[in-house]
Formats: sequence, structure tokens, C-alpha cells
Amino acid sequence: MQGSAFDEAAFFAAIAASGARALLIGRRALVALGLPVLTADYDYWIHIDDLERFNAALTKLDLRPNLQPAEARSRGRYVLENDERVDVVVAAVIATVDGVRFSFEDVWARRTILDCGGSDLPIPSLDDLIATKRFAARPKDLEDLRLLEVLRESEEKP
Amino acid sequence: MKALPKEVIARIRAIAERQLSPEEFDAAWRVPIGGAERQDILSLIAWFTRRYPTPAERLVYVRRAYANWKRSFPPR
Repeated sequence: MQGSAFDEAAFFAAIAASGARALLIGRRALVALGLPVLTADYDYWIHIDDLERFNAALTKLDLRPNLQPAEARSRGRYVLENDERVDVVVAAVIATVDGVRFSFEDVWARRTILDCGGSDLPIPSLDDLIATKRFAARPKDLEDLRLLEVLRESEEKP
Repeated sequence: MKALPKEVIARIRAIAERQLSPEEFDAAWRVPIGGAERQDILSLIAWFTRRYPTPAERLVYVRRAYANWKRSFPPR
């Protein structure tokens, strides 16, 4: 993956223009909030009814889904890729490693909208972003949790 | 830099990407964030947000940094 050929502004603009309810999660959401962490991929959590709309927007940028919509919904996740890779979670509800359930509808309702080069970039609220790090519960998620907790503390201080 | 063998890289990835059990996760999470660690993180955030004030600038910077970092490692 190269850092220059991909038009990231067009990518975010296409998703915003599509009207798909799509939340940027994962490390790129951390970056957007001000945490300098490295990452290869884009991670999205999308509304289960908006999969076709999301795919249509990104197919125009030559990103191709690895699964048909029905199978993607059945598995709960799929990938759009070319030289870039977009990991997509398409599930109405996700549980954390300790069994706390989060619905997309609730997380979407609490979302934060960032301005990204003139396009709306919806991400989960900071509390929900912290919760998403308990979905996969990998060692690197623990590292990210510590960063997010310090960010939250700093934002809570006057 | 000498390239690591593919099987070593695969093993490292498997360790880094495995899902922890709830007990493992909570045990690690209960380790308090120390004063020095907190200050390091705050300092990093302050630098990053001052140098790259907008989300778009931060994302562009990280794409560039990742590409530079990746060049020093063998491909997947």
C-alpha cells in the first residue's frame, strides 16, 4: 500500500455522499481524534440495511467487495479492497469480549461527526469508541484503550 | 535491515492479533496508567494535534508515516 496514490478525501466524500450510515472505527478513528498510531486498513461499522449503498459508493473508487451482500450479512463482516483494504463490520449488534452488547442504532445515535476536508466523517462517541476496542480484544486493542482513556481524561478536564 | 523469515512474521502476527479471554483482557486493563505513561501520551497528543490541527491532516500524515514504515519490512 502506498501513501500517495489513494485519494483519501475522495474516499471519505464518496461515503458521505452515499448516505450510508457508516462509522469509521479502528485506528483511523483514533488518528482523526488526535492519537498518532500507525495502521494499514480502514475499519468501518455500517448499518446492515446500507451495505449496497456503501459498496456502490466505493466500487466507483475501484474498491471491490470480497463477498456478495447476503453472505456478508450472514458472516457479519467483509472486505472491500484493491491496493487499499477496508474491513467492514455489518452487524446490527456486537458484543464485547465480556458480553456487553452494543447496537449499531444506539452507537449511530451517539456518533460524533468530524469535518474531514469538507466531508462529514462520522465516528463513534469517545465512550463508544473505547467500547469497540473490547469487541476484538486483541493485545493492540489494549494499547489503544490506554491511549483513548488518557484522551478522554484530558477532554474531561476543564 | 535484514528481513525476518516469513514464519516468524506469521507467528508474531498470530500473537498480536489473537483475541484475549475476558479474564486476560480485564487483568491487563486493570494495570493502572502511570504518571509517566500518562504524560508521554498527553505530550504525543499535544504535538500531533498542534502539528496537524485537522482530522484530514492527521489522516494524511499517518498514511505517509505508515508507507514509510512499511518500506522497511517484508511484504505479507
